[in-house]
Amino acid sequence: MTMKSKRKELRICLAASAGGHLTQLLKLNDSWQDYETIYVTSSKIVAAKLQKGGRVYTVADCNRKRPLKVIKAFMKCFKVAYSERPDVVISTGAAPGLLMCFFGKLFGAKVIWLDSITNTERLSLSGRMVRPLADLLLTQWPELAEKYSKAEYAGQVV
Amino acid sequence: MIFLTVGTQYPFERLVRAVDEAVASGVIEEEIFGQIGPCPYKPQNFDFTHSLDSVRFDNYLAQSQAVVGHAGVGTITMALNNNKNLLVMPRLAEHGEHVNDHQLGLARKFEQAGHILVAYECSQLPEKLALLHSFEPTPRQSNPHDVAARVGSFLSQLQAKNL
Repeated sequence: MTMKSKRKELRICLAASAGGHLTQLLKLNDSWQDYETIYVTSSKIVAAKLQKGGRVYTVADCNRKRPLKVIKAFMKCFKVAYSERPDVVISTGAAPGLLMCFFGKLFGAKVIWLDSITNTERLSLSGRMVRPLADLLLTQWPELAEKYSKAEYAGQVV
Repeated sequence: MIFLTVGTQYPFERLVRAVDEAVASGVIEEEIFGQIGPCPYKPQNFDFTHSLDSVRFDNYLAQSQAVVGHAGVGTITMALNNNKNLLVMPRLAEHGEHVNDHQLGLARKFEQAGHILVAYECSQLPEKLALLHSFEPTPRQSNPHDVAARVGSFLSQLQAKNL
């Protein structure tokens, strides 16, 4: 494991469930071209496609209705955060992304959250849970940036 | 040709039936092709399939004069990016059509901005179908590079601090 103090460039963990969450996250790829990237996602097939960008970890997708799956994901995300020590975690959700944000922060990472465009009336549950620890919290609807003082609106990625 | 598309995750029989009835009653006179998803109901009045690979999907989309669909974010952005007039019906959790009502919120926002037509229930479908071809949507552009720039400036400030 590269100690943070020895790294020349930021190590960025990109964490998103396969599907719409990942599609939206990857629209930000201009922003991380100068840095090292690792990925956490929920599908092995998708993971294979991301490999040219860096190490990829797969965490089974989970949601609030399946608590045992959440615990399994908990442990995997903890392990990834512990061994990789990212400087930044960027996530759009869902639950595995949220878990990477928590454990990343535990080991000193900054957290950037982009809430999915599908959340129009309020931040997603994951977004609301990450809000206290996010260093940059983005919503894709200007009305929600007004509703939540911490949230910023910079545009829509899809 | 009108292209009907409802995604593939959950059934959306309510919309498929309503379109079938609209053809039967003469509200829709032109050809329809439907991608109807996992749907026990079989339309009687138009050709359909349950799912399409991306090549065939893109072909039907390109050939269509307009699109009717569920209010999924993929369907909405895909139709708008291809300059197709779009009429949506939002899937609702209470009918088991999705796990939550995010399609309702999405439909309202895009309708308010003038980008799409919405039929919130079946009774509204005929009147909205009549408007579909003459509808002049307000153009819409996503701006991923602006959002990436915001993230990028955060990262470069952080990198500078770390050096």
